[in-house]
Amino acid sequence: MTAEPIRKVCVIGAGTMGAGIAAQVANAGVPVLLLDVPARDGDRSAIASGAVAKMLKTEPAPFMSAAAAKLVEPGNIEDDLARVAECDWVIEAVIERLDIKQGLYAKLEAVKRADCAVSSNTSTIPLAQLVAGRSEAFRKSFLITHFFNPPRSMRLLEVVTGPDTDAALAGRIAHFADVGMGKSVVRAHDTPGFIANRIGTFWIQLGINEAIDRGLTVEEADAVAGPPMGVPRTGIFGLVDLVGIDLMPHLKDSLTATLASDDPYQAIARDIALIGNMIARGYTGRKGKGGFYRVNREAGKRREAIDLASGEYRPQAKPPPVRGVLKALVESKGKLGEYAWALLSHTLAYAASLLPEAAADVVAIDDAMSLGYNWKAGPFAMIDQLGARYLAERLAAEGRAVPRLLALAGDRSFYRVEGGRRQFLGLDGAYHDIVRPEGVLRLADIKLGTKPLLKRASAALWDVGEGVAALEFTAKMNTLDGEVMALLGEAIPLVASRFKALVLYTDADNFSAGANLGLALFALNIAAWGEIEKLIAGGQAAYKALKYAPFPVVGAPAGLAVGGGCEILLHCDAIQAHAELYTGLVECGVGLIPGWGGNGEMLARWQAAPGLPRGPMPAIARVFETVSVATVSKSAAEAKALLFLRPGDGISMNRDRLLFDARARALALAEGYTPPARPEFRLPGESGRVALGMAAQGFHKRGLATDYDMVVSDALATVLSGGGADPAETVSEEQLLTLERETFMRLLHEPRSIARVEHMLETGKPLRN
Amino acid sequence: MKSAVITGFVRSPFTLAGKGALARVRPDDLAAQVIRGLIGKTGVAPADIEDVILGCAFPEGEQGLNVARLVALLADLPLSVGGMTVNRFCGSSMSAVHIAMGQIAVGAGEVFVCAGVESMSRVPMMGFNPLPNPVLAKKSAAYMSMGETAENVARQYKIPRAEQEALAVTSQQRAAAAQADGRFAGEIVAIAGKAGTVDRDGTIRGETTAEALGALKPAFDAAGTVTAGTSSPLTDGASAVLVTSEDYAKAHGLPVLARIKAVAISGCAPEVMGLGPIVASRKALARAGLAVGDLDVVELNEAFASQALACIGELGLDRERTNIDGGAIALGHPLGATGARIVGKAAQLLKRGGGRYALATQCIGGGQGIATVLEAVE
Repeated sequence: MTAEPIRKVCVIGAGTMGAGIAAQVANAGVPVLLLDVPARDGDRSAIASGAVAKMLKTEPAPFMSAAAAKLVEPGNIEDDLARVAECDWVIEAVIERLDIKQGLYAKLEAVKRADCAVSSNTSTIPLAQLVAGRSEAFRKSFLITHFFNPPRSMRLLEVVTGPDTDAALAGRIAHFADVGMGKSVVRAHDTPGFIANRIGTFWIQLGINEAIDRGLTVEEADAVAGPPMGVPRTGIFGLVDLVGIDLMPHLKDSLTATLASDDPYQAIARDIALIGNMIARGYTGRKGKGGFYRVNREAGKRREAIDLASGEYRPQAKPPPVRGVLKALVESKGKLGEYAWALLSHTLAYAASLLPEAAADVVAIDDAMSLGYNWKAGPFAMIDQLGARYLAERLAAEGRAVPRLLALAGDRSFYRVEGGRRQFLGLDGAYHDIVRPEGVLRLADIKLGTKPLLKRASAALWDVGEGVAALEFTAKMNTLDGEVMALLGEAIPLVASRFKALVLYTDADNFSAGANLGLALFALNIAAWGEIEKLIAGGQAAYKALKYAPFPVVGAPAGLAVGGGCEILLHCDAIQAHAELYTGLVECGVGLIPGWGGNGEMLARWQAAPGLPRGPMPAIARVFETVSVATVSKSAAEAKALLFLRPGDGISMNRDRLLFDARARALALAEGYTPPARPEFRLPGESGRVALGMAAQGFHKRGLATDYDMVVSDALATVLSGGGADPAETVSEEQLLTLERETFMRLLHEPRSIARVEHMLETGKPLRN
Repeated sequence: MKSAVITGFVRSPFTLAGKGALARVRPDDLAAQVIRGLIGKTGVAPADIEDVILGCAFPEGEQGLNVARLVALLADLPLSVGGMTVNRFCGSSMSAVHIAMGQIAVGAGEVFVCAGVESMSRVPMMGFNPLPNPVLAKKSAAYMSMGETAENVARQYKIPRAEQEALAVTSQQRAAAAQADGRFAGEIVAIAGKAGTVDRDGTIRGETTAEALGALKPAFDAAGTVTAGTSSPLTDGASAVLVTSEDYAKAHGLPVLARIKAVAISGCAPEVMGLGPIVASRKALARAGLAVGDLDVVELNEAFASQALACIGELGLDRERTNIDGGAIALGHPLGATGARIVGKAAQLLKRGGGRYALATQCIGGGQGIATVLEAVE
């Protein structure tokens, strides 16, 4: 699509949502005017500038970089509204009051350009009401863009257009929201609550009602309504704590006011005394004094949960074990199984009844729930797990209404794979291909029609088209082991002979958590030193073979890419990263140092970095500062600042576009490709190590580094300064690898390193010994 | 032997490194503007200047090469004027004064610009490429951080944190009062920077209270007593004094601030470098034939409150006569520039207060002290 680019955006309303949306526009590299009402005294734009200042202190950060924050220009709607004329898109995110929104639109109509889109972030007010009284020209430019909180990380954007909305303009906005802001656009119809919140609110209300009525504890309810249903661990009560309990009555009032009187939600909507009391006492969830769960600081940070009957807090109980297979769960006897059936059957039936009212097809509904509520499977994918006929028959047996769509499906599933393509059941009773937007490529889709070129226990190689192969990691958390290294060894000649380029990519949330520490610990415990050294040497050799392979290699990481997962990226010719990239060399946290060539690669990058003073120390000091404290980037933009990414590396805002973009980058490098030259280092040797040690000593004295941190950072300093190197001579890449490996092995013999590894495996947190 | 006199003193405003108003000004430009200011203020004939002696503690990057010569050229001094960079860390520009005094004494010139500069924003402490000798690092504290040495002094002299904080509060209050009374106006040369003219110190925190200081975390040692509030801040600044022979000053009608009576250098243990002023001051006073009680004005550089207190105690200095317009804890300590500032300041205060003798002294990283005794000229 060659939509006209969006050059400037205005966001009106600097509350949490408006400010967060403005930040995400800025993260896309587009300037934003953020307006709110004028402050009563002092700086008239203080409300908007205060929102920006607050975001700079918020964790997780709404901004991906300091540069993005500078793109937001605060203003106020009295002095600056005319500047809307500079903008291509105005996003209204003011309070949910029709009169206020309508009044604002009337003013906007007078100042905006005709080709400037106006969208509302309303979550409850129908589009038809919003544009009532506006000109045809305004109605043509108007749509609803419903973002989810927080706008940086929540991928769902529900887009609602009206009968008068200009399709090309809506397409332009949707394209920018997708490619620029990284949102997955789901088209929803103009119905109350749109898709995700309509189903989500029903599910939450039902989950609370049923838990109270059936006498379940919050722990029991969340154990059922969480991972066994493919729902995040927060389940229902934990989710309400997260989004804010005080939001519940507002959602209920809004939906009961706007939904038809025979909508099933009307029957379950009720005021719950417990919730009213909690809100009145300030127990509004995690943002307040606590919610259904709380951490009682007066009782030594004890985790507590509320008793749904008495409203009193009590120590949190261990959740009951709940089986993971959906059908077995809803068929199991006892209150947990019955709760699961009640919750699921009503929610799934409700979802099935919303087509075509709320959306065009099942894919839109499932996408909305997986992207907006982080459900692994949307309602229709869950129905497929149970069987549409099973659900229909059990509903009928209980004398409940069977949605027309379930009857239409009969024995069929809502999704199927046909001829290597994923299809969905349309409302016309026929199957249709799921068509991905142009520029979206999923490995999961490719896998439907092909077999891997190579496969081992923890990695596989795929043909992803256009002469490009993709190597994916497949172990838990995509950890790396000898099998990955062996597959790399096999992949290189195969790619060299049959492909133009290689991409390192996985559909998983996390690119790689690094070396498989569990395996390493096992080898340590049986003192298999030879095996471990072989794994280190093998990894070093495999990564260097990748670096000097006769074809370009493009890393395409998303999510976590740490330790060995970061090191493999450092060996790539280029990176196409998802904007949400958390990468770093974190080995020091487990008492080790990078062992697969990461030290040399980082040194080479910093030594070549412009703007750094000359001489042997500046590059070394920067790498030491970054690696000794296990720095992890909080975005791809930050990874660039840390040089884990090179300045020219690409960033894809939309996760779904990552593989496609990486493949294109790889192909662009393939023409006339020559492998990089081997770097030579000029390192200071012992005096550099002493200098770094002095810096570390300062941290130790200030109580910021532990005794063992000093041992580990000294090992790192030894490698980075080249061991016994003399600054008058050069150190080869090979010599540096040997030093890295020997130093790594030396640390492995330290009991305190092993204690760190064990602790990380047991708790997921670093041991500060 | 010809005697040497101080016939002018100026400095740039002192501003915090990193975030201060001079952080975007190159140190060579900064020093050149200050030297121009000195010449403008004193009216000395530039062609008469023998040499520009410029102190700098980390002479590399923008303050590298022979920065003294470069600054002389930047300041449009005649090509005939020389330039020599001096490094004695914090004592650099006081050494510049001592060198000028010596040159004058042996008849090797009549007029010297003795200046100092440090941009701690643009050249980090330790420089860009610290490469300590591993052998020395093992056998000596030569490379110990200054903060650690301040802790060592505090421990050795049992100086409680509250006492350090009281000194810091006094320093801030005196500096703030001097600023408010316009007592710095005569010494400050306005500096043209990218973001406009800077003509005011940016380091002084007159509102500092002992209570606020008490809330700070130790800056160098978790178990220590030295905080950011009782240390001199990292600072950008330049200073310059005009040193001439007494004969020249008289012949050319230059108003004399003070005569340089005696000077001294002494070494001490690097791990307690803050004690350097004790022996150096005693040596200089002995050479001048004076006792501490003869001093009307003392400028004792406050690298840290702990070392300043130790020196005050050991030397028996009168606190009312010491750092009258505030010290480095309030004004800042641009390493290479401090020596010329406190010599110039001591001379200025002697003149202002009508006193007879003054002492300027400071400690030096690596374990040294330096001292200058001044005398009023009737």
